[in-house]
Amino acid sequence: MAISETFVRIRYRWFSDRLVGEILSKSWIDNAIPTIALVATLGVMIAIIPDYLSVGNLTDLSRQVAEFGLIAMALTIVILSGGIDLSVGSMFALCVLAALVSMNVLGLPLLAALTATLATGLLCGLLNGVLVGYLRLRAFITTLVTLVIYRALYDIVFPRLASAIVGSTPDSPTWDFIGYGVVYGVPVSFLIFLAVAIVLHIVLSRLRPGWRLRAVGGARRSAYNAGINVKLTVCLAYVSSGILTAIAAFLFSARLGSTGADTGIGLEISVLTAVVLGGVSLGGGRGSVGNAVIGSILVLILTNSLIRLAMPGSVSQLLLGCVLILAVLFDAKWVKNRAKILSRVYMSPTYLKLPDRSQGAREDYFALNNRLGGVDLIGLGEVEGPEDVILDQNDHLYTGTRLGTIVRFFAPDYKHSEVFARIGGHPLGLAFDQAGDLIACVGGMGVYKVSPEGAVSKVTDETNRSLFSVIDDSRLRLPDDLDIAPDGRIFFSEATIRYEMSEWAVDALEGRGNGRLICYDPRTKTTRTILRGLIFPNGVTICRDGQSLLFAETWACRINRYWFDGPRKGQREIFIDNLPGYPDNINRGSGGTYWIALLGMRTKTFDLAMRKPGFRRRVARRVAADEWLFPNINRGCVVHASASGEILDVLWDETGENHPSITSTCEHKGQLFLGGVSNNRIGRVKLPDGDPRWTTRQDYWGAPQ
Amino acid sequence: MSLSSLFKRLLPSTDSGTSVPPMDGVFKPNNRLEEAESVVALPGVDGLAVAPSGLVCSAGSSLFLIATGATPLAPRQIAAFAGPISFVAANAAGQLAVGVEGGGIHLGDTGGGFNRLDLNDPMPNCTTAATFGAEGTLFVCIGSSELPASEWKRDLMTHGQSGAVVAVNVRERSTRTVAGGLAFPYGVAIGDDGRLVVSESWRHRIVGIDPRRAARPDVLLDDLPAYPARLARASDGGYWLAFFAPRRQLTEMVLREDDYRKEMIATIEPLDWIGPELSVGGGADQPLQMGSVRQMGVLKPWAPSRSYGLIAKCDAKMKPTATLHSRADGMRHGTTSVVEQGANLFVTSRGVGALLRADAKGFANSGAGSV
Repeated sequence: MAISETFVRIRYRWFSDRLVGEILSKSWIDNAIPTIALVATLGVMIAIIPDYLSVGNLTDLSRQVAEFGLIAMALTIVILSGGIDLSVGSMFALCVLAALVSMNVLGLPLLAALTATLATGLLCGLLNGVLVGYLRLRAFITTLVTLVIYRALYDIVFPRLASAIVGSTPDSPTWDFIGYGVVYGVPVSFLIFLAVAIVLHIVLSRLRPGWRLRAVGGARRSAYNAGINVKLTVCLAYVSSGILTAIAAFLFSARLGSTGADTGIGLEISVLTAVVLGGVSLGGGRGSVGNAVIGSILVLILTNSLIRLAMPGSVSQLLLGCVLILAVLFDAKWVKNRAKILSRVYMSPTYLKLPDRSQGAREDYFALNNRLGGVDLIGLGEVEGPEDVILDQNDHLYTGTRLGTIVRFFAPDYKHSEVFARIGGHPLGLAFDQAGDLIACVGGMGVYKVSPEGAVSKVTDETNRSLFSVIDDSRLRLPDDLDIAPDGRIFFSEATIRYEMSEWAVDALEGRGNGRLICYDPRTKTTRTILRGLIFPNGVTICRDGQSLLFAETWACRINRYWFDGPRKGQREIFIDNLPGYPDNINRGSGGTYWIALLGMRTKTFDLAMRKPGFRRRVARRVAADEWLFPNINRGCVVHASASGEILDVLWDETGENHPSITSTCEHKGQLFLGGVSNNRIGRVKLPDGDPRWTTRQDYWGAPQ
Repeated sequence: MSLSSLFKRLLPSTDSGTSVPPMDGVFKPNNRLEEAESVVALPGVDGLAVAPSGLVCSAGSSLFLIATGATPLAPRQIAAFAGPISFVAANAAGQLAVGVEGGGIHLGDTGGGFNRLDLNDPMPNCTTAATFGAEGTLFVCIGSSELPASEWKRDLMTHGQSGAVVAVNVRERSTRTVAGGLAFPYGVAIGDDGRLVVSESWRHRIVGIDPRRAARPDVLLDDLPAYPARLARASDGGYWLAFFAPRRQLTEMVLREDDYRKEMIATIEPLDWIGPELSVGGGADQPLQMGSVRQMGVLKPWAPSRSYGLIAKCDAKMKPTATLHSRADGMRHGTTSVVEQGANLFVTSRGVGALLRADAKGFANSGAGSV
């Protein structure tokens, strides 16, 4: 091996660029840049302002954050719903007025004052919500108008009561405690804010109302089509905004005990800056409480520091405006280009050197023949994508289709068929368990069970999450093939954890061990990953010793044997290496043999490309997907192997018309059935030396009673 | 090289270097070649020329005469040579010129008597096309000065640009290079103004070369979606262009990827390379592109195939006006020669090894005669 190639191998082994794409694909990446900005700003302020981290300063800041942050959360909710609320400043002023009038002027008890404040906020929000949600007015203009109306109301009421508010102070220790109280050094108002933030975060990110809100903001029409009450959701967003603003106003009133003519003026711009700076997208549907909090802290630090640096108020307004413009610009560019960047960097090929084919000395076995030429076609044009085929004890034939169904063809001529079960995903590997239930790996869904009556139930759709995986590998993305051990455990392969069913071919260009072998134990109903880092693990079959299994690694062109029980438990060895094609499903055959379907053949150009990851990445980035280099899967064959891994025979379809790619086989009573994941037919061919009584069921579970 | 193409070369990070003109506009695909009549099956059919007594057609190392009046058309072998025939040319007087790989140029007539033309100066072996000029001159395209014609793929993948157009004086047996440094000239015809019209295959363009002056070739038509091969005059004063294989993004990409390309050339047989091909590949070891995967028993007609059949009709100003296609799901690929004879258009398809006949009427461009 050339030195440069060794270098390439080491580079891709230890410095994989896979993580860049995986991190970019996480939703929390939206928070990363605001967080970095916050840390940087804080660092700068600590450096240039003496005593920045003093207790007094921090306490003061945290009280401000509590009030400001609540309003930012209010605006976040509205922006998430796809709207905007410019009236938060005026609403805030009205609520402050309500709280102070209740406490100072009317002398109401604290709870009554709180209720009055919240009611004011609720009413203001409800007006916005009805106008925008039900009457379908534009959010921007509506809340601009209500901003003026609420401010006018404030300006009418405030001067008449100003002296009364200032003139008396309420005698309520709780009121003072909310305003000035400290618990373990933390201001009470900040604790209230924290509690509200945590609850709101859970509601927005984990509960149904939050998901509906995002759905409405992200794609209004789709949300409507999905059955979400869009009008109500939008209306409630404004109502929540009003209530949160009212809570902020209550805290503010308790802290200051008075109000002025300028309360809440310009607040909407500062809050909007905070929210956008924090990473909430103005387009709707994207954002979180975390974004609002980060943005609030950032904006407060900026404004406070500018005051402490003795900047005039107009200058700090100017700076804040510039920051808002920059944040909006960044938001627009980020939302627009994130997917583009992701699609360019997500695919990350790696170095994969396959053994030299001429070293295999199997060329004579793989000489082209036409033994699959005389194949009978079953379901031509009726069945789409029969990845796996299997027969039951009554000789009926079952196969999955890409329409999301399992189809049954009736013996003996297989001319008539019915939809046996509707699953919803493309069923891939199939196996019968001892009780006669059909177990299926379903692409994009998991492992499912179909009873003999056709009732579908889920077996498993998740496994244990691995510790250091960036992408969530607990969900099953592409379960491929399965087999059932004598004790009922289901062993199945998941071809790749990085791509969905529709993109399985992209995994071929990566050539990395993205797949795994998983075991489901019906006794404990648990699913555990047993082997990771496999290169597109595909076919699985249990060996006749009941302690080991064979599994194919497709892009590595090899078949492994793995012991899951017995004295060699946990060991793994290569069963057949250096195949001239890409192995798919493995199935038992008569006489103690195995059938291996090769879905395609290796080509020299592709083998060479697998040793040149940089070339593959450039091809993937610069060439349209239709033009990508690919293994030759227009030509497959079937390999008959002995129990010890010697190749006995190879069966070809010489013209490649009926079965260009073969993904599975099933021997049944002296006949071999052929499936293909991108084909529209099932093949049946008579085996000259096949045992006319042998069936898979017998081989697995013994003779039927 | 224009400024924009220089820019493209300097900045390979943009995808401009790998983009291929789409088959659109005049080049919008149709099935006219698939629907054309296959008149004679001749494995290895390649060169084609119109002689007074019929069509002269080469297949492998044999030369055939096809009398076009008869039905059905029957080829009659008139000569056989020591090596594969690389071009056929004929003039109105019935004189024939034939290029033989490894065997130089032979002159003769439809009666079958051929003599090797012994040139005063040796000439590169890779003759690809020729046409008779006035006063006993034969204009010959030399695809490459370094490789024989059968190694055309190696020439393409090594960025070959050692081709030339040579004027051979048949009487004096002398040669004169009209233009050099061409990237595989693969077809030649004489234009109305006496200039040579040459297809420069690896640069996917048609150039005009004045044989009387040493001037740079000027581009008549470029940015073609396929590799041009032989060309012929049309009866309305225009031209017929034959294209033997399509351009592909992946091929353009490999042409820029020196590391991959060099290793491919060094370790893999040319048949299994990434690159254009004359016929639909059947070998299990041939490269496949993702769009060419058979889905539900069907190969998409727009699949990125390595071979294609394409004939274009151009007017006298070399503006394409109509095309005939055999698409990815068809077989009549590797269309290397085209001639118009009477009301018929004859096309050789190396992909299926057959001479095809289509109706040439309906392709004439009105007003072209006045140009």
